[in-house]
Amino acid sequence: MYSEATRPILSCAAMTCEMDSVSGPLQILQDINFTLAPRRALGIVGESGAGKSMLVKAIMGIAPKGLKTMGRIELEGQDLLALKPRDRARLIGRKVGIVFQNPMTSLNPFVQIGRQIEEAGCIHMGLSKAEARSRAIELLSFVGLPDPEDCYDYYPHQFSGGMKQRIMIAAALICQPDLLIADEATTALDVTVQKEVLDLLQTIQAERQMSMILVSHNLGVVAGRTDEILVLYGGNVVEYGPTAEVFRNPRHRYTEALLSAMPAMDQPAHTRLRTIPGQPPNLANRPAGCPFAPRCPSAQAICHEVMPPMSAGIHPDHRFACHFPLAELPRPAQQEVAHVQ
Amino acid sequence: MTDVGNSPVFKPGPDAKLGEIVRHAMPWSSRLKLPGASPFEMLAAIFLVLLVLIALFVDFIPGLVSPKLPYGDFSALPEWSLNGLLGTDDIGRSIFSRVLYGARTSMMIVAISTTIALVAGLLLGMLAGYYRGIFERAIDLFANALAAMPSTLVVLAFVAVTGPSVVTIIVVLGIFDIGTYARVAKAGVISQSNRDYVLAARAMGATDGRILLKEILPNLIPALTAVMPTLMAGLIITEGSLSFLGYGIPAPAPSWGGMIASSTDLLSRFPILIVGPVLAIVLTVYAFNTIGDYLAQRLNNRERES
Amino acid sequence: MLNSAMPYFRAISTRLITGVLVFLLVTFSATALSSLAPGSAAQLILGDYATPEQIAALNAQYGYDLPVWQRYLSWLGDLLRGDLGVTLFSQQPILGVVLERAAVTFEIAFLAMAVSLIGIPIAMYTASHPNKLGDKVMRSISTVLLAVPTFVIVVLFSYLFAMVLRWFPATGWAKFTENPVANLWYVALPVLCLSMHQTAYLYRVARNEFVTTLQEDYIAVARAKGLPLGYILFHHALRPAMPQILTVMGLSLTYMLAGSFVVESYFAVPGIGWTILSAVKSHDIPLVQAILSLTVVIFVIVFMLVDLGYALIDPRVKVS
Repeated sequence: MYSEATRPILSCAAMTCEMDSVSGPLQILQDINFTLAPRRALGIVGESGAGKSMLVKAIMGIAPKGLKTMGRIELEGQDLLALKPRDRARLIGRKVGIVFQNPMTSLNPFVQIGRQIEEAGCIHMGLSKAEARSRAIELLSFVGLPDPEDCYDYYPHQFSGGMKQRIMIAAALICQPDLLIADEATTALDVTVQKEVLDLLQTIQAERQMSMILVSHNLGVVAGRTDEILVLYGGNVVEYGPTAEVFRNPRHRYTEALLSAMPAMDQPAHTRLRTIPGQPPNLANRPAGCPFAPRCPSAQAICHEVMPPMSAGIHPDHRFACHFPLAELPRPAQQEVAHVQ
Repeated sequence: MTDVGNSPVFKPGPDAKLGEIVRHAMPWSSRLKLPGASPFEMLAAIFLVLLVLIALFVDFIPGLVSPKLPYGDFSALPEWSLNGLLGTDDIGRSIFSRVLYGARTSMMIVAISTTIALVAGLLLGMLAGYYRGIFERAIDLFANALAAMPSTLVVLAFVAVTGPSVVTIIVVLGIFDIGTYARVAKAGVISQSNRDYVLAARAMGATDGRILLKEILPNLIPALTAVMPTLMAGLIITEGSLSFLGYGIPAPAPSWGGMIASSTDLLSRFPILIVGPVLAIVLTVYAFNTIGDYLAQRLNNRERES
Repeated sequence: MLNSAMPYFRAISTRLITGVLVFLLVTFSATALSSLAPGSAAQLILGDYATPEQIAALNAQYGYDLPVWQRYLSWLGDLLRGDLGVTLFSQQPILGVVLERAAVTFEIAFLAMAVSLIGIPIAMYTASHPNKLGDKVMRSISTVLLAVPTFVIVVLFSYLFAMVLRWFPATGWAKFTENPVANLWYVALPVLCLSMHQTAYLYRVARNEFVTTLQEDYIAVARAKGLPLGYILFHHALRPAMPQILTVMGLSLTYMLAGSFVVESYFAVPGIGWTILSAVKSHDIPLVQAILSLTVVIFVIVFMLVDLGYALIDPRVKVS
């Protein structure tokens, strides 16, 4: 998959997150493994409660107090968990830009937006006031705000939700990060605005040659915009592979169920969408086997008892954790077209 | 965890939790029905129960001398006897007895003032919240006027005209708390009166009075109870300050504030004699504040859940 | 209290109208108060041995034999002319006496308020390290301090600092205009006593406010940006927490004034509290009335200042 022999931007190895609770430690995330190469985009998909946001927060080091992260998280070769919290915050602030879910609450209503955009630059890169200002204004116009010079002095309440999210994106770009994380960045926006913001993110990623992580509960959001996809269920990775491959030939039953729950253009109108019966797993009371087994139509006895290991498909980078995966489809002739960079 | 309930002898080790000690020493404390209360909150509740019992039954404590009559030497230091436990004051009265009877004075003022404030505040707040308009404005103005002055100042103004009296203090302090209770009641009524059950009752033709008393009033009680202990603590402080200034409870009736004022003259020679009344008022205010915080916290949690 | 939807100037004018109404209500009640005197007000002031001529003279001067509304109107007229008469016993102009004494109380209250501001940075620090040792210790201290009435603090502190340690004088006074150093020397202990309760209260409110603010999304964003904690606290948490803190500072002025009565009487500071206590003792009803009115004016002004403060702090509250 990595045609260039470059060091990955971000990699997680055997990452596990635990939170203490009344009934003992809760495993919020279990054994997460992935690597993200430069200039590539990763989609992280799952239902609410699957652990997507916690994964992002654990990587960023802003998880709620009491969350213990184990394993290895490397940012450009640096082991984040080995760093002092202060150094780690500085490194991440410098190298990673993040856009959160709710633009209405992500901007401080008491601080001028210009200041909110440039502050990380002033602190991490030692920009002077004038440099910071010109760079912030440049970014404001880059993300598509009209009259960026005036906007600089405005307060957040003077902007709409979509505009605020553009401002958040500008703020994430101030340090020229190598990685941009969008954590459900468009979920709170109107559908039309969603597409604009997503397209903006994609353009930025391409133009600035960054890596990107797109976190969403919506497969449609990551479909055309990512190179790889990571499907989370109940705090476990259930499927991980090139986006086109996973969409064409999902092997895990949960991924397949998610895909069939999506409306498709080729379906006749008024086709009933499939839903996934049952509830997401209760982390306090994990089943011993596959977390999806209680809701899986094809579950057998072994699924309830033994955690399925990660196995590889025909495509070498396509992995899934299922005892009884879906059948492998023959690869189409023009296979290479599916993952042009 | 130690099985506190069954062990016949419980020795609180150095690492024993305060809660276990409380539960062991006072098994009846579980009857206070304070779910989720910390040991400190438990102790505060127990202290307040004790205080009310003392206020009610202090006359029946065997061997306790009168708080108004001298019984021993002037300014005697504490000794190991019921009446001499905290020493005697400058004219030989038992400080212990005066502290206990002072509890009665404080509790009486708190009880009557709070009753006045609660009844009037509830009535005005319900009128303001239910009918809004001119009622609300008039009552808001009244509450604002009360907030613009310290109650101590108004009591002093009354005292300037009518002389110090318990009745003046009780009535003025009662009136001053009306504003807070009215505001809480008003807010409660406003938030309740658009709920489905009220609309349903109205649709069934219930009268305003019936809706207010049967449907809305019961729902105001938690919020009112939550502000009550803190206001009560304020009453105790104000009464204490007035008595300390010499315009509170007229002598020779015992009051904690007055006792502290009179022991200040002896402070350089017998500082120990001030301990009794100081502890009494500080612990009482602490207990009321603690219970107030506990109730407010619980109310908050309940509102967040619903 | 903070209503951003309501245009700001309307909020201010509503506050002003309310303030005027409150002023009229309170001053009228203060005038009516003298009717409660047993016998007559003049009799009360002059004592049991007053001659009918003396009583008639006093009534002529203060109008205690007139109906309440007439007395009130003439009092309002006097106020507009800036002449509220003279004090009953020292025969000094009331307005001058009240303003001079008020300046003393204002100095003490202002200094005590300034000292209590120390609660805010402490609250900031402990709120950002919740349930750590420092937080627990400060919370316990503030809880205990809130349970100690100012008159108890006055007694304990004067015992400790004036009698045992002898750091400060127990009583005495020097005018700031005549000897500022001596003034600060005498004022230290009263200010310390008055600020204790206020500091604890301010700390508590500020801590809760900061804890709430630090849970906001924009704080998580600031942390994700890798900004240092101090920067986040001062640039992102302080302003959002200020409106609530400001409100509490305004509201707690009543408590401070009540506390100043105790402090001034105990340390013999010639302020408003000391004045009203002597006025009460001598039944100087006109002086009491003037002090009540002044208090109301101060509170109305303070609440308007608090409103102005909102506008300075919160960009969403602006003159439209």
